[in-house]
Amino acid sequence: MKSVLRLFEKARPVFQKGGRLAVLKPIYEALENFLFAPSTATTTAPHVRDPLDLKRFMSMVILALIPCIVAAFYFFGLRLAAMIAVSYMAGGTVEVLFAVIRKEDINEGFLVTGMLFPLIMPPTVPLWMVAVGVAFGVFVGKELFGGTGRNLFNPALVGRCFLALAYPETMSAGWLEPSSELVGRFFKYVDASSVDAISSATPLALAKQGEMCSLSHLLLGSVPGSAGETSAIAIILGGVFLLVTRVANWRTVVGILGSFTFLAGILHHAQSARFGPASWHVFAGGLLFGAFFMATDPVTSPTSNAGKWLYGAIIGSTTVLIRNFTGYVEGVTFAILLGNIVAPVLDEMVFTVRFWRLKSEE
Amino acid sequence: MRFRGGYDILLQGRPEGLVRPMPEPATLYLPLRSPRFTFTEICVRHGQDVKAGDPLARDRRNHGVPLLAPRSGRVNLESAENHTVLEQAVKLQQPSDPARKQMSHIERESGAAVMRQRQLLALGAWQFFYDAHTGALPDPTGSPQAIIVCTLGLEPFVTRGDVQLRSRLLNFTRGLEHLQSLLEYQPIFLAIPDIRSDFADIIRNRIRGYASVKILAVPLTYPYDNFRILARRLGLKRSNGPVWALRTEGILAVDRALTLTKPCLVRIVSIGGAGVVPATHIKVMPGYPLKMIKEKYVFEPVARIINGGILTGETLGEQTLGLDAECRGLTVLPEQEGREFLGFTRPGWGRSAYAPCFLSSLRQRFRERFSTGMRGEGRPCISCNYCEDVCPAGIAPHLIHKYLYRGLIDGAERARVDLCVECGLCSFVCPSKIDLRRQFFEVKQLIHDEKQAICEEKARLEAVREAGK
Repeated sequence: MKSVLRLFEKARPVFQKGGRLAVLKPIYEALENFLFAPSTATTTAPHVRDPLDLKRFMSMVILALIPCIVAAFYFFGLRLAAMIAVSYMAGGTVEVLFAVIRKEDINEGFLVTGMLFPLIMPPTVPLWMVAVGVAFGVFVGKELFGGTGRNLFNPALVGRCFLALAYPETMSAGWLEPSSELVGRFFKYVDASSVDAISSATPLALAKQGEMCSLSHLLLGSVPGSAGETSAIAIILGGVFLLVTRVANWRTVVGILGSFTFLAGILHHAQSARFGPASWHVFAGGLLFGAFFMATDPVTSPTSNAGKWLYGAIIGSTTVLIRNFTGYVEGVTFAILLGNIVAPVLDEMVFTVRFWRLKSEE
Repeated sequence: MRFRGGYDILLQGRPEGLVRPMPEPATLYLPLRSPRFTFTEICVRHGQDVKAGDPLARDRRNHGVPLLAPRSGRVNLESAENHTVLEQAVKLQQPSDPARKQMSHIERESGAAVMRQRQLLALGAWQFFYDAHTGALPDPTGSPQAIIVCTLGLEPFVTRGDVQLRSRLLNFTRGLEHLQSLLEYQPIFLAIPDIRSDFADIIRNRIRGYASVKILAVPLTYPYDNFRILARRLGLKRSNGPVWALRTEGILAVDRALTLTKPCLVRIVSIGGAGVVPATHIKVMPGYPLKMIKEKYVFEPVARIINGGILTGETLGEQTLGLDAECRGLTVLPEQEGREFLGFTRPGWGRSAYAPCFLSSLRQRFRERFSTGMRGEGRPCISCNYCEDVCPAGIAPHLIHKYLYRGLIDGAERARVDLCVECGLCSFVCPSKIDLRRQFFEVKQLIHDEKQAICEEKARLEAVREAGK
């Protein structure tokens, strides 16, 4: 590895200010720091730093997504690999472009967005749509606001929302029937034109017509739906890992799931013929994925702990309302984006109270 | 109010509970600058012979706090910059007593308590007093609303309280008595660890008899030994007058000054960190040459020597030759070496991290060999909230950082940046490696300067108006 490091050292002047390829400095630095831990040292107190950096922080999310990805491959086939590749390429291009223009570092946050995005797409969506969606999401949802850490909305959800409004047909009608074979579709590439791809309705759409699929299917994920959102067990597995590593905050998740279960339970209790049971609704659709992986994005959720509770409650209850009282069968995307909008307000409220209380302390 | 936040960094090289003697130095290098003091007024001439306990220099801006000669010897003002060098240093049996001369005169003028405080100042014990809220030296002619005595040294690695107290318990309790005599009715709060051990029980039993000494059990979590945090925990408001605060070495110095009327010249200082073997405590005096410490102990070839703890201490540069008057410990930290290949993908069995993102969270917490490495690149804040979780002051460092990023100083002020105690934990845990502590330090300085300028301007206008009349 020393020879590689030496190679980087040798190439550095080319990318430094005044060098021939100074424009590409962000790419050079991203690559160098990806391979080798940075050599910078502290200059003032505190003289030591925690081992955790943003790369590790973001890789934790990728690690947590592995169960979902495996489940998606199993149920919907190898096409997901193409979707992930396209998503990384398209989103990466936007990210790198902006890093070069702004002369800033390339941020790791994009690695998460690029992975999350294909997982919330219908498995048969055309690849160009994946590219357009993720590019739109990264550009409008993140870069326009100033890049990682300064965005108001979750970029992946902005991309999905854009596609859902621009191409409602493809985004909500063409659902791939999950594999029913034991070996799954680990070695199969299935797209919309394949013979065995039967467009069918998602469990939530069926439920609106009064047809409830069994809970075991929802838990396993053998139902039509977005690529990574169907398997409740896989999501919970990865989600709990995220909560344990404290990359995601448990308050948001508990807030969402708690308020959702509470409100859905009340509805079911009031009119059990019209509204499905809460225990079924929690596992259906994108709620779990949204709660564990989307809403917990630290940048777009409120920072204060009290704010996180309120934020969770708003997302959970909005999801129930959209699912049961609007024309949409699924409402998690909109609910989280709505939560993103109110997040700064929630923080403002919480901090105002906090500072008012601190006034009397010293 | 309860204790908030806090976090213990488990760092290799905790000083052992022993105090090792050090050889008598022939030459002492007394730095004219320490964290709080700048001794600008030199009281001796070049080549003058001084006795141990004579004032070498004073800090006029801090009530004339003296820099005492720890040993007898000949003054050399020219051999080292920013230092007073004491050559041919010898330990004499009878140190001089600069206090006694002025005492009778002052006693007539002011009360007994103020006289004792003057005596503390003259004998070098007053420098161990802190104003709990500001950290500055309190006014020796004033009187506090309460005194906080903290026996803990929680920052890695400053002198451990138990090491200082062991075998000096009698002096400590006597010092507390003297402290009581400075007060009329105000309470003394004694912060001791909330652990059950034989030694802690002995201290508790000793203290039980003192009516005005109240015990406060403090969890052993950094930075609950911070005076400002303790004052807030005790509900001692700034508006009710100053709160004085001392550490163990302060009480021992008070005892020495008021019982024996002798200056406190020798103290116990820790020497810890992964870069030194063995990590221990040493008995030294201010001005003790760093070179001799380096000779006696094995230092890492490339190491940073820090005056104080790892989180708040200052790097000792090449130009510093001796220990300063306020030194609470030396921390030796190895410099970072090499660059790990794909470091962020490693399982991290040997990394002691705040968030359980490494495999090491499966094992018991352990002491990691930390180096000076930044361990990541600077990134924008992602609001992970770790800084708020560890903050002992109850403020939101990430929020203040965002205000400062946009240049909104009044926003930072509204977010109570003034409550920051500069413990350094937020900077430590930040995964984006933002130097929050320094940012807050700078903005506090800025706000302070600005307020001072406004006050001066007001006073000037007032004077102009008066003159106009």
